[in-house]
Amino acid sequence: MTAVIMDGIVLGLQFGILGVGLTLVYGLGGVLNLAHGQMAVAGAMVISRLTDGGMGTFLAVAIGIVAVGLLGMVIDLTLMKAVYGEEGEGRTLLGLLLMLGVGFIIDGVLEWRYPIEALTLRVAGDPIDILGVSMRRGSLVASAIILLVGALLVAFFRLTTFGRATRSVIQDENGARLVGVNPSVVRTSIFALSGILGGIVAVTRAMTTPVGSTDGIELTIFALIVAVVGGLGSVSGAFLAGILLGIVSTVSAFYIGSYITTIILLVVCAVTIVIRPSGLLGVRS
Amino acid sequence: MTAVDPAADPEPAADHRMAAAASVKNSILGDFLPITIVAGLLGLIPLKFMDSRSMMTVLISGMLFAAYGIAFNIIFGSTGQLFLCVGALAGIGGFSSAIMADRLSVPWVLSILLAGIIASLVGGLLSWIAVTRSLDTIFIGIVTLAFSLSFENFVLGKGDLTGGEDGLRVAASKGSIMREQVKPYYVFLALVVVYLIFYRLLQRSHIGWAFKALKDDEVAAELAGVDVTKYRVYAGLIGSGMLGIAGAMFAHQGRGFIGSTTYAFGAVDVRVLVMLAFGGIGSLLGPILGAIVFTVLDELLDSQAQLREVFYGIVTVFLFLAFRRGAIPSLSSLLKKKPSSRSR
Repeated sequence: MTAVIMDGIVLGLQFGILGVGLTLVYGLGGVLNLAHGQMAVAGAMVISRLTDGGMGTFLAVAIGIVAVGLLGMVIDLTLMKAVYGEEGEGRTLLGLLLMLGVGFIIDGVLEWRYPIEALTLRVAGDPIDILGVSMRRGSLVASAIILLVGALLVAFFRLTTFGRATRSVIQDENGARLVGVNPSVVRTSIFALSGILGGIVAVTRAMTTPVGSTDGIELTIFALIVAVVGGLGSVSGAFLAGILLGIVSTVSAFYIGSYITTIILLVVCAVTIVIRPSGLLGVRS
Repeated sequence: MTAVDPAADPEPAADHRMAAAASVKNSILGDFLPITIVAGLLGLIPLKFMDSRSMMTVLISGMLFAAYGIAFNIIFGSTGQLFLCVGALAGIGGFSSAIMADRLSVPWVLSILLAGIIASLVGGLLSWIAVTRSLDTIFIGIVTLAFSLSFENFVLGKGDLTGGEDGLRVAASKGSIMREQVKPYYVFLALVVVYLIFYRLLQRSHIGWAFKALKDDEVAAELAGVDVTKYRVYAGLIGSGMLGIAGAMFAHQGRGFIGSTTYAFGAVDVRVLVMLAFGGIGSLLGPILGAIVFTVLDELLDSQAQLREVFYGIVTVFLFLAFRRGAIPSLSSLLKKKPSSRSR
């Protein structure tokens, strides 16, 4: 049981950072990025191709993560311009549909070019005992990276001027504009940051399980569930929800079965919306 | 219930009413003429392709998607509820009809109607939850998407009932006209025509007025006494029932086979959305135009099956950016030389 819960925490941290990438973009511009998982997988494929071509792992990983960040930036500067020109429900709907389309494009291209490619990053070394459970090095390194990134994110949002500007746009776009924050610069940077987080998801996940070229949609769905349960727009909510759902997921997969597990996660998501649309830690607007 | 029925408004000025009645009579021809013409043209298509089983399968699926499109148009186009569970509702119809007919020996024609009722109740429930919890578009979208994916996992996981990954072979309708090569096309065409007429009649009824009012301005409609909750749930019930019937009919046609992907989100919902984006959300013939165009394109892309997803993605992005109101409304407003009322 302890081992299952520990696995759940490892998975949950990955869920958490996946949800953060989605929740940030939604909180800022009202765009529900239904291509988030596909973007992450695109990063994984870049890394996989580069390492296959003989490049060193660290350099390939860095290039892959930056590539997803750039992809996010390009999407924001092109397609999302039309979305940000809309207001209210129109903006939400257009953003959602466009990103659904982008998700299909990325997924289709990957499936077409690299149908059986998968990224696995092996972390060498013997398993380490934690609380009597022997944990694989890959899981521990992945979790440590995510915790570090999480801490950096919190520091960024609390301590830097740009982080505070970001939070001001999340709270009130017009108010932020009045005090001299340029929402479009913030949005572009955060879309890029969300892409980078997606790349980190791909890398950390590849340390525990192979990331296949067709896994994008599944990752997007997990990101969506986590972001909704945590409260759309809430970074700490996404992390908390990620860890909770990760534990629920491994426990239920271990004791009940995988199809039911997915259904349980989806039902948790739907019930959250119906009972408490603001999620665990979100603020009701 | 505080709903206002404009047609039954007790005291409008008498001559206004006469004028309105006259114009309604004049427009009946105008209203139903397009449906007649479209039905006639669609009825001619099999003459060219009746020898090819594969072409007939493609055409039947085209008609099925036209029916899905009309039903989705009632839910999303008329009342703005983003139901991302078109496939799931059709699948509830398809699987429950197949199971009722084969396991419980319900006559298969009856099972299609019962399946429609089941889908209608499920969709109505989703709609009722969405309205009473006043969920906005995005949350309705997420809840219904979660519902779709749960349904897919249920179909895969509950293999003893649904056949799981192998799919389900339906036996009850063997030997009926639904198993022939050309006739099922006409059955589905009839369904589409019935749906179109029903859609038109609905638009002209007090329900249609209420839909229009609450779509144009929900607050104003509510203030004018339109019971928004009631009409949204009506749309959910009606559209979902139509989806259930169409999905159930599909289970009995051709080889009588429904698989785990027949009603999957990626196979149905995305296509319906793109079709409607092309044809025009909320227009009468938009779903038909969309279904025809995408049936032809699918056939052209058949040799490049992997590229289909890319293509759908590009079309979605392009259509929603370029004609946000769909091709038919954009064209008809161009013809009328009205400036497009697209808001930026």
